[in-house]
Amino acid sequence: MKSFVLRNRTLIQSSAGLLVIFVAAILLSPTDLRTDEVLFLKADNLTNMLRVSAPVAIIALGMTLVILTGGIDLSVGSTLAFCSVVAALGLSEWNLGIFAAILLAILAGGAVGLLNGSLIAWLKVQPFVITLASMIGVRGLTRWLSNNQNIQLRTAGEVAVRFFEFFSQKTVMIGLFVLLAAVFALLLSGTVFGRYVRALGDNAKASVYAGLPIKRVQIAVYTLTGLLAGLAGVLTCARTTTGNPNDGIAAELDVIAVVVIGGTSLAGGRGSIVGTVIGALIIAILVNILGLRNVGANEQLMLKAVIIVVAVVMQHQRTSS
Amino acid sequence: MQNIERYLSTLAVALLAAVSLVGCGSQEQAATKRLVVFSQCNNAEPYRASQNERFQELFSKHPDIKFVISDGQADASKQISQIENAILQKPDVLIVAPLERSALSGVMGEAMAAGIPTICLERDIAEPNYTTFVSCDNVEIGRLAGQFIVDYLTKKNGAAQGVFVEISGMQGVQAAKDRHDGAFEVLQQHPEIKVAHQATGNWFQAEAMARMEEALSANAEIDVVYAHNDPMAYGAYLAAKEQGRHEEIAFVGVDGLPHEGVKYVEDGILAATFEYPLCVDKAVELTVQLLADKEFTPEKTYILESRSILGKAD
Repeated sequence: MKSFVLRNRTLIQSSAGLLVIFVAAILLSPTDLRTDEVLFLKADNLTNMLRVSAPVAIIALGMTLVILTGGIDLSVGSTLAFCSVVAALGLSEWNLGIFAAILLAILAGGAVGLLNGSLIAWLKVQPFVITLASMIGVRGLTRWLSNNQNIQLRTAGEVAVRFFEFFSQKTVMIGLFVLLAAVFALLLSGTVFGRYVRALGDNAKASVYAGLPIKRVQIAVYTLTGLLAGLAGVLTCARTTTGNPNDGIAAELDVIAVVVIGGTSLAGGRGSIVGTVIGALIIAILVNILGLRNVGANEQLMLKAVIIVVAVVMQHQRTSS
Repeated sequence: MQNIERYLSTLAVALLAAVSLVGCGSQEQAATKRLVVFSQCNNAEPYRASQNERFQELFSKHPDIKFVISDGQADASKQISQIENAILQKPDVLIVAPLERSALSGVMGEAMAAGIPTICLERDIAEPNYTTFVSCDNVEIGRLAGQFIVDYLTKKNGAAQGVFVEISGMQGVQAAKDRHDGAFEVLQQHPEIKVAHQATGNWFQAEAMARMEEALSANAEIDVVYAHNDPMAYGAYLAAKEQGRHEEIAFVGVDGLPHEGVKYVEDGILAATFEYPLCVDKAVELTVQLLADKEFTPEKTYILESRSILGKAD
């Protein structure tokens, strides 16, 4: 009961943060010179904002589970690039159909996750180390596979064009995120698997004694995250009409920031999908309003840092009180 | 509840900090000012930083123009999103230095459809979704470098002969391919010039140093090093200097930025560099014309000429 209250308190805090940022964005937004409309609130702008944040937000759903188990996955940025390149090659050089190319790309992401999870579970090496290694290795694999080239879809024939025209649509990219967020929220709070995930991060030793299938849970959360990174790679490929082996560099840090701002504790055990969705929205609004106001990229990084620290300080206060 | 209050007050402080930072980012647009947005693909490259600097310098002479730069941070998705933001603000002219040819075609088409005149800078895009394109010719720069190397060797060795090392930019980048192709178009006419070593420095000084060390170990004699940019030429020079072999080798670079390549040539480090024009002056000139005259239709493409920057000895 107590932990339920604590969890909700975190959610209330995150929601308050979201509200504050949202109101601030409206106040700070430039207006259209001709019509006096607030640019931030324009439907075009809000949907632009959600679409551009979709890939990171989608991966953050899986990362929430990983972090809840007390783990971390540093390989998601490399995996995103890997799957983007696989999808682009599938559609251009390998002449796969749209469905097969997407499936192959997402499964490639799942394979990276499966490898991560298996090594972590069976070798009992820290997740940080294993996924650091795969972050490096998968980036190399991606560059090797693409021969350091950007694989361009705009000139790769009719099938490729149909692919990116469909999957870069706002309704598709935002819709997929909403759908997956609902699925993962249900998975975490409505299933036995979800309880195992939390239990593992809350108290690993107790989970062992209680006979939980720890290895299977670990393998599952990393595989799910890999699959999501694969999907994010497919969407990035569609959005940029390019399979770029250098995509997603440092994306893992954006993903972790979203999860942390959403109130999930890096110590494991505490956090929620709703929180992660809120975290994704906070970052999305922040980036969007700074962009609309033409704040420089360097200042944006400093502000992101402030927001992350504020979020974590709040977590700390919560747990220590 | 106390916690929530504390949370909100901390947030308020953060927000204040944010507002002050944002405040210095931009001012309210005066209704009379014309808005020019420049979407730069990556501020963190010296060539591109020089472009930004030159833009600001030139536009500061036009008080009626509000000029803003957004930084794509070498990420195509980010640059697309920034151009989307720009379209919402309906600038009078949009200038884009694209990160990738394919990725930006769609969103630049949207800008054109919104009736915004767009200038494509230095690199074009897969479809002609721009009003005009200002660029320069890397193959021609390669030819200039190749000819310089032939002339240098002829002067040094009495004939067009000698040992040649090439350090390339990143594989798969058009500029690296063009700078190679242009130089080899000239060099291949002189079979006495021995291509002893070819390596990739990925545009980076540090990597060029490492590759040059290998080239030095493998070759007792080297006459000329041709690097696809000035930082790599400088890296090659540093590697040779460490072994006391820099006097016997001529280092040739490309880019010729004022406080980089030009300075290296002045200091006698590089024998020559070939300017890769910033393209900024022409873009500003076209912007001013587009703003002044609604009827003005620029050419579809402008190709700017390179300039040779040679050391005193030559």
